[in-house]
Amino acid sequence: MKEIFTMWKKTKMVVLVALSAGLYAAVLIPFKGFVLIPGITEIRPASALPILFGLLFGPAGAWGAAIGNLIGDFFGSLGIGSIFGFVGNFMFAYVPYKIWTNLGVLKSDDLEPNLKSGKKIMLFVIVSILGAAACALVIAWGLEVLGMVPFAALASIITLNNVIPSIVLGIPLGLILFPRIKKWDLLWTDIVDEEDTLSGGGISRVGGILMTVSILFGLVGGLLAAFGVGQAMFYSGFGAEGEVGSTAVLVIAGIGTAGLIISSFFQTFNKAE
Amino acid sequence: MDMFLYVDIDSGLHRLDSRTKLILMFLSFTVAVMFFNILILGCLLILVTSYGASGRILGNLKRIKVVIFMITLFSLAIWSIARPSDSKVFIFSLEGLFYGIMIALKTNTMIISGMIFLSTTKIEEIAEGLVKLKVPYRGAFAFATAIRLVPMIVATSYTIIQAQKSRGLDLDSGNILQKTRKYLPLMIPTFISVIRSTNIFSMALESKGFGYSKNRTNYLNHILDSRDYFMLLLGVLILAAAIVIKTYPGLYDNFVLQFSWSEFSAGYPNWSI
Repeated sequence: MKEIFTMWKKTKMVVLVALSAGLYAAVLIPFKGFVLIPGITEIRPASALPILFGLLFGPAGAWGAAIGNLIGDFFGSLGIGSIFGFVGNFMFAYVPYKIWTNLGVLKSDDLEPNLKSGKKIMLFVIVSILGAAACALVIAWGLEVLGMVPFAALASIITLNNVIPSIVLGIPLGLILFPRIKKWDLLWTDIVDEEDTLSGGGISRVGGILMTVSILFGLVGGLLAAFGVGQAMFYSGFGAEGEVGSTAVLVIAGIGTAGLIISSFFQTFNKAE
Repeated sequence: MDMFLYVDIDSGLHRLDSRTKLILMFLSFTVAVMFFNILILGCLLILVTSYGASGRILGNLKRIKVVIFMITLFSLAIWSIARPSDSKVFIFSLEGLFYGIMIALKTNTMIISGMIFLSTTKIEEIAEGLVKLKVPYRGAFAFATAIRLVPMIVATSYTIIQAQKSRGLDLDSGNILQKTRKYLPLMIPTFISVIRSTNIFSMALESKGFGYSKNRTNYLNHILDSRDYFMLLLGVLILAAAIVIKTYPGLYDNFVLQFSWSEFSAGYPNWSI
């Protein structure tokens, strides 16, 4: 996790934070009128970007996604949900590059996100789903804590709204952008010091698996707990008699969210070590 | 191209320190989140709107009218249909309608509070405020730069669209899906053009001494004065009053008994009018 702090000492990474935040906001803003849940979320083709930013720019992409989402909220939907939106969108880009490196699917000498093989495309789909789910988990749990929007409705809408653009638009965009980013030496692993990159070694793999389990436990467990108190998915969730802010949902989704953050601390072992 | 909400006039509200306005915004969020009562949220909305009127920036409501209208319409429509009730007329319920009014008031209050902050605070003042609130300078710099980049990115994409149109690309015909498919490839040159500037941007920053010293001096240097302390005191008093109303034994229960139609907190008797 330390790379999300140490990256700030590199000017190029600071610039990448600003540029990715600007790009994300610039694509988010025109769709602010296509509302899904007023004041909370809208149709977001821009959701294709955080996964790519995360894989290409690493921690700079994660900060960029978080700041870009906050700037997007400045154009008509700044509210208490923006705090959870900041953390959720950070996770949307942060989880993919962690899982990409640390889940152990790819060989340690072939970790570049170039999408040149079926295996890498499949892994891209997996990290997109996990990133989108992590974002949904954090935001839906936060707004459930505040008693504002039912967990099951919001978590399902955000996950779907994030996953579809991430996969449909993300793969072609990734294929086009990767060779150029690589050529310009802008891959985050080419910018930060070697001790700040990820290794994909044993303990990191445990962290990657723990992160995956935490996200799935928090989201699926949270949804099951929400169904248990009468909530429902998607727009039916607004019509169900379910209680918003129930202890079971808060605890299970909260454990998932906490696990997501704690598992990050297992994933900072670097190549030099 | 003026995409931002800031209104450049001289008012007492504009002269407040950005930290004061930020804290007052979060205080309004806190009070809005605490209550599920139409009357109290209505009073809060009036209070927030009066605060905005003192800065003569309510003209900006026109710019977010679509968002406010959509929130109100969505809340009234979906909750009057979806909220379970024993007394439904066709598919609508009066209880759902009142619940929708409460949700619309809560969400719109936060949106308007956010709009007031952005309408009275310049981007550089926000960045300065963040630094004074101990956000690291590089983070605040990335945030402020990203905001400034948004109009530039939009202008770049507009130029690319115009260039392709002048070469005969027909972007005006077809349904919304066909138009989307035509517009999406035009985003690629925008992304590439923006990302390509990273290296030059970094060099420009470093040649100007970016990151030379941790202790920077700033041209802008606002300090909290008596007006700021007065407004902060007022905000804290309002929050304290809200906490007393909510927690003083019997006080809130008596209020709810008198106006039971306005209350939707969990733990209170079933809604009735």
